[in-house]
Amino acid sequence: MTFNLRTPTRRHLLRMTAGAALATPFLSIRAAAQTVNLSMLAWYGHAEPDIVGEFEEANNVKFTPKYYTGGDNMLGLIAQSPAGTYDVILSDAEYVQQLNAAGYIEALDAADYAFDDFYPEFQKFPGHWQGDTLYSVITRFGFLGVAHNTDVLSEKDAASYGVFSDSRVTGKLGHFDWHLPNLGQMSLAAGNASPYDIDEAAWDKVQEATMALRGQVGGFFDYGGTFSSLNDGQMVVFAGIGDWITGVLEKNGAKVRTTIPEEGGLQWTESFSIGKGTKNYEMARKWIQWITSPEGQAKSADMAAYPALIPSEKGWKVLNASNPAEAKRQNMVLGQYNAMDMIREGRIKYRQLPVQQSLEDWNDFWSDYKGA
Amino acid sequence: MTIRRPRLFPLVLSLPLLLWQLAFFLFPLVFLVAISFWTVRNFQMTPDLDFGNWERILTRNTFWDAYARTAMLATASAVLTSLIAFPAAYAISFKLSDRVKQWLIFVLIIPFFTSYLVRIYALQVFLSDAGIINALLGMLGIGPFLMLNTTFGTLVGMVTLCLPLVILLQIFSLNFVNRDLIEAAHNLRCGRLRTVFLVIVPSARVGLVIAALFAFILSFGDFVSPLYLGGGNPPTLSIMITDITKSGQQWPRAAVVALMMIGTLLTVAFAAITFAYKERGK
Amino acid sequence: MTGNRNFIIDVLLKLHIAACVIFIFAPILGSFVFSLNSDRFPSLPLGQFSTEWYRLIWEDPFVWTGFYNTVIVGFVVAVIATLLGFGGAYTDFRYNFFGKNIYLALALLPPTIPVVIMGLAMLAFLSRVNLSGSTISVIIAHGVMCSPFAMAIIRLRLSQMDPDLEAAAWNLGGNEWATLRHVIIPFTKPAILAALFITMAVSFDEFAVAWFVSGLNETLPVKILGFLQGQVSPRINAIGSLAFVSSITLIILAQILLRNSSKEKS
Repeated sequence: MTFNLRTPTRRHLLRMTAGAALATPFLSIRAAAQTVNLSMLAWYGHAEPDIVGEFEEANNVKFTPKYYTGGDNMLGLIAQSPAGTYDVILSDAEYVQQLNAAGYIEALDAADYAFDDFYPEFQKFPGHWQGDTLYSVITRFGFLGVAHNTDVLSEKDAASYGVFSDSRVTGKLGHFDWHLPNLGQMSLAAGNASPYDIDEAAWDKVQEATMALRGQVGGFFDYGGTFSSLNDGQMVVFAGIGDWITGVLEKNGAKVRTTIPEEGGLQWTESFSIGKGTKNYEMARKWIQWITSPEGQAKSADMAAYPALIPSEKGWKVLNASNPAEAKRQNMVLGQYNAMDMIREGRIKYRQLPVQQSLEDWNDFWSDYKGA
Repeated sequence: MTIRRPRLFPLVLSLPLLLWQLAFFLFPLVFLVAISFWTVRNFQMTPDLDFGNWERILTRNTFWDAYARTAMLATASAVLTSLIAFPAAYAISFKLSDRVKQWLIFVLIIPFFTSYLVRIYALQVFLSDAGIINALLGMLGIGPFLMLNTTFGTLVGMVTLCLPLVILLQIFSLNFVNRDLIEAAHNLRCGRLRTVFLVIVPSARVGLVIAALFAFILSFGDFVSPLYLGGGNPPTLSIMITDITKSGQQWPRAAVVALMMIGTLLTVAFAAITFAYKERGK
Repeated sequence: MTGNRNFIIDVLLKLHIAACVIFIFAPILGSFVFSLNSDRFPSLPLGQFSTEWYRLIWEDPFVWTGFYNTVIVGFVVAVIATLLGFGGAYTDFRYNFFGKNIYLALALLPPTIPVVIMGLAMLAFLSRVNLSGSTISVIIAHGVMCSPFAMAIIRLRLSQMDPDLEAAAWNLGGNEWATLRHVIIPFTKPAILAALFITMAVSFDEFAVAWFVSGLNETLPVKILGFLQGQVSPRINAIGSLAFVSSITLIILAQILLRNSSKEKS
């Protein structure tokens, strides 16, 4: 009796759930059949609807993202996949040369892209060109400084890297877990004009000064961990990050902010390349053209996942007109002291791979530091 | 009844598993051994026979510190989980009706169907300075305590991971304990605690040891708790592996750390199983 | 045992069970609450009630494809791992042969290998034989990781079988195949079902190895790891809660089915 009752119910239930589950995706699969599928290897957020939605609609294209966390992770993913797996690749400037050396990216035609719209500083970005051949198109950048909780530390407090050893932040200093930005900042703090091009003596000093901070450290965090630990006040000051993290939190109402200290700040730079062996070269090119257009640039500046400065002067104009609040928040207002002036004053240095030491040395020191 | 020629039946049953594990388990591991002798230049791996990776890893204090730390954490987690689990498993196995027992076992299986990542993410909110536990303690006028990004946090995560499994394994081994033995012990006026330690624990030893072994294995290799609850501070071996691959594509060195971990786990597992099945009475 | 009951100790033990259950379920419950909370970074006091995160995942096509990949992988893996595990368990139960220890070691060792290492080795190997970056690679890897569980569960059941039972079947003229079909499989049926479910569960929740080998065909747990490593988002909780509810429904259905079939027999 009970058994008889139960069987149809179960079947019914299965049919119902199956129906509900199948309906939505089938629609999207059918729609996808006629469109171009463009795969993108990028940091989180670059293929989310707020950025690619408009482009997808206009060009009948669908992005399939693979999000990575860090340049080495990216290289690993490309190395382990067949050529042509990724159509467009977003990379940090340090890694473009590695991509190029390994033959992972296509040469580009500089005439395809609107470099004339860009500030002169970004028309021939180092590492993106090999001689006169273009391999990668700069799309956005940002500054790294002292990220701090404004309830605990004022901008004045954070105006020097010295704040990392302040007694108020003992056990509350967080590190973004990557040696390049952290050690670069420590090198700036030690007064090195080119923080990544330092001799052995200077490198020893940087190591010593870094090691002295170990007791202050509350943790080493990945991207996500950095977000949550700054937001809930678990960490009150952070090394190795910038507005790309604090900006998101600020917009969410958290009392955090990045200050570029007197000793100077670092610059991260992202650019798009086209993967070697892609079957969608045309569409990939079209995408890069779109994201570096003034409208695409203005959108990119206010990307939901993480905001950034943009290299296109025309993009600045569009942003100032369409989204003045964000332009102001990021110090991109035209006609007053802004982010470009900071670069021109020499307060900002490019983040790059160590010049005189091997990457291995820096990395080994970082793991010693973590383990100490 | 000796088998003269290979017959189809046993082969059909036994070979698929063997072939699958050979092809997709043993080969990758052997390949890992090979990789550990490769070299990396400019972010590119090239096949080689170079002992530099082994030398580099094994001569560094950072590795051995992390090694000792990871082993201690895993041991602490195994012991702690076993101690917390045992009274519960004991009570479930001996004190509850079959119906309740069945339901509790069902309840304990549920966590296996929930994402460990999701649970750890939620635990962050519980353990943080302004988190739920500190808020509750604050109402009682104590705290706040620093729990997130500490070894304590890591251990909480590991126990969360292992506890359901350990309780279940303990219940199953306790269920096999002969009830007559206990009856006999009681008839001989053996006290409650003494019965537990002199009769029940020894006869369930195999299961108890294996449960603890599983907790050790899971904790030893876990990277989620140390990273998201321990703040990666200081790092464990699993974190070290991801760190090494994160900078300069040093997969060969990561392979060295990995092989050291496998060696350790095999040794521990072998020792634990030998101990578990050791003849009783001596 | 009756004469030796102590009320206070029994109560304490039951409280301990309750404490363990609370400890285990607090995070699960917490994540459910946070999934319905408007704050992007949940903390006390809670924000407003909101179904925003559910709407976001419902509308996210990548969550759906991830879900599909997970289900497909889960089903295929459950079947493969249970078949392999059954064969292994029966082999261990029934035969003695030269090198059996090695056979068993190979069959049972995978869970002892930390997932990070497994992922690393799998990716390095599979990419050499051009099997990486697809759903098949996840199935292969999960097959390796899950079959030991299936084998252990079925082996446990086999050890409860009266060894004479099989012999009796042979004496009655049944050949090995017939015995397998009419004696062994019916006897181990609950274990086989359990193995199917457990292996599916293990596969559903596996993120580390899948992260390494899945390439563009990410499964849902890999998506969750992505959310956790990248943009911390309560979508993690929403996905987790949905996955939780659906798995529970599955288990309850399985329980009801099992109970019915055992009732039928008795």
